[in-house]
Amino acid sequence: MTIKSISGCIGCEECVKSCPCDVIRMDGNKAYIAHAADCQICHLCRMYCPVDAIEMAPEKSIPVILPWG
Amino acid sequence: MTDLNDTTSPTRREFLALSGATAGIASLGMAAWAQNNVEIDVDAITNTDHVTDVLVIGGGMAGLFAAVKAHDAGAATMIVSKGRLGASGLTPFGKGFFVFDPDTESGTIDDFVDTVSRSALGTNNPTYTRQLAVHSMARAQELRDWGFFDQTLANRPFIKPIEERNIPLLERVVVTHLIKEDGRIAGAAGFRVDAEETVTIRAKSVILCTGAGGFKPSGFPLGDLTHDGTIMAYEIGAKVTGKEWNDGHSTRSVNPAACYDNWGDMFERVPSTNGVEVHHDLGVDINYRAYVTGNPVSGGTGAVQPTEAVDGGPYVPEEFQNVGQPSGDGEGGALGAPPSGEGGAPGGPPPGFAASANVGGASAGMAIHKSEGLVPFDDRCASNIAGLYAAGDALGSHMAGGIYTQIGSSLAGSAVQGAIAGEAAAEFADTVETPVISDDRLIEFTDEILAPLRREAGYGPAWVTQTLQGIMIPNFVLYIKKASMMTAALAYVEELRDHHAPMLRAANMHELRLAHETRNMILSAEMKMRASLMRTESRCSHYRLDYPEVDDENWRAWINIYRGTDGAMQLEKQPFDTWPT
Repeated sequence: MTIKSISGCIGCEECVKSCPCDVIRMDGNKAYIAHAADCQICHLCRMYCPVDAIEMAPEKSIPVILPWG
Repeated sequence: MTDLNDTTSPTRREFLALSGATAGIASLGMAAWAQNNVEIDVDAITNTDHVTDVLVIGGGMAGLFAAVKAHDAGAATMIVSKGRLGASGLTPFGKGFFVFDPDTESGTIDDFVDTVSRSALGTNNPTYTRQLAVHSMARAQELRDWGFFDQTLANRPFIKPIEERNIPLLERVVVTHLIKEDGRIAGAAGFRVDAEETVTIRAKSVILCTGAGGFKPSGFPLGDLTHDGTIMAYEIGAKVTGKEWNDGHSTRSVNPAACYDNWGDMFERVPSTNGVEVHHDLGVDINYRAYVTGNPVSGGTGAVQPTEAVDGGPYVPEEFQNVGQPSGDGEGGALGAPPSGEGGAPGGPPPGFAASANVGGASAGMAIHKSEGLVPFDDRCASNIAGLYAAGDALGSHMAGGIYTQIGSSLAGSAVQGAIAGEAAAEFADTVETPVISDDRLIEFTDEILAPLRREAGYGPAWVTQTLQGIMIPNFVLYIKKASMMTAALAYVEELRDHHAPMLRAANMHELRLAHETRNMILSAEMKMRASLMRTESRCSHYRLDYPEVDDENWRAWINIYRGTDGAMQLEKQPFDTWPT
């Protein structure tokens, strides 16, 4: 799930700029999750958001490759 | 509270339902070969051309100091970053900054360099190790003046000196090509992810501060680092080193991709400084234990760290055998308290088997900080291409060696090297004219950049990346090495290089970035396999099951990689304690 939701966005674009993996984009004056599969769950978007609009989840939206399992 | 414009990402179940995936490779939820349904008008993409004296590529710790010092030395300087200044690459997550303070240290700088060299088994370049210690205090003071040690979000202190100097800053621009004309660096080319626009920059000198990279692994925040600078430079003739080393950070088996959660609250800590603390932290030892005994750790909070020894495995000098074990006290976050002093992912020792930390490969594809990247040809971060410099994790300075040694040296080393490269590049720029690049030549670059958007069909970059991960990340390929498996993996990688990379498709600017990143990861994988095959010994973070011993007779040498005249990858030895010729 990575970024779980964006709720209460004020359109400042801080999250778009701060996402290292280009996961979030703007739709008009609201941020939306454009590329969830590329989220590295680092929380920078949440930390830069000035109004705590972003809720995170620890699950990746695609299977991950590990060295052993 | 929701409103109509709020968004929620799909759950995994919904994601699979949307993709129609059912089983096997298709369960990745990614189409492999398919028609390219391009979402933008490629013919309407425009180009913006810039001119500067010194171009700094990368907006992390190295890039910050490179730009500031090049500017202060009198050069017109520009920074371009794939992400945001101070908010991309590994810089935002490093919280420990090594400072050698002669007033508080009990030993001398000579003692420090000697200790690092003993831990690194000679793999470190002592000139760069010493330089780190000598300059660390001055860089820390500048960071303190900018407010770096007063906050948790690095963009704010980073932007201060850049704005004060009016240094032009291009963010969210992906540089994909370096331009070489008449035997020297002439600039770079790339594209914007937010706009349908290519970007060309003519420059007298270029400093790569592009970080290192990995295979977009899970559990370590380097999803945006794909060795871009190294590969761009390799393609124009630069020599590359350090590819056989392995960073060994681990993650949890439950939600292994959750970087933030696995590091507890560390990403939100205020950075701090620390003094001399030299380790020999492998990470590969975890991989060896797992390989020999099966998955050795029971997951979950409170998991007990295995204490029984396993036979064989990587050599650790006796002096360092009990240094740097993770605290594992289960407090302060899922990984337990991060090691004292470091407090940061980049440069930190592997978190190891603290409670819940139980699977390797978090940083798969990355070598030890400062060990991989461009071969330095002098002590001022110069490459073998006139006017091209590198600093930080993009420079294979072997400052710390092929193993984690000094805690907190990653951020500090990037600051120190960035400053030195900035001054050197400004000096170089003062001696040459602005390069002339014909419009036709620039069009060649932009055509190559945009090629994945023009393909009517091709392979999805996400699918190729996951295929590469499946080849490279397994423990028995990347970490516990032997010739037969590496030869097999190399054959797969060559297939991706020759057949799939030329047919990567992109439907929009985001996928265009992924396509170029994927290609860079494929070439880096080839480098890692070839260097690891060549190094017929085990040393530091390079471990071979078929050559388990340190071989001082034959391998007191680094491995340099370069592109041969026929385009094939060539490898050569460079003895420790020498400079290349």
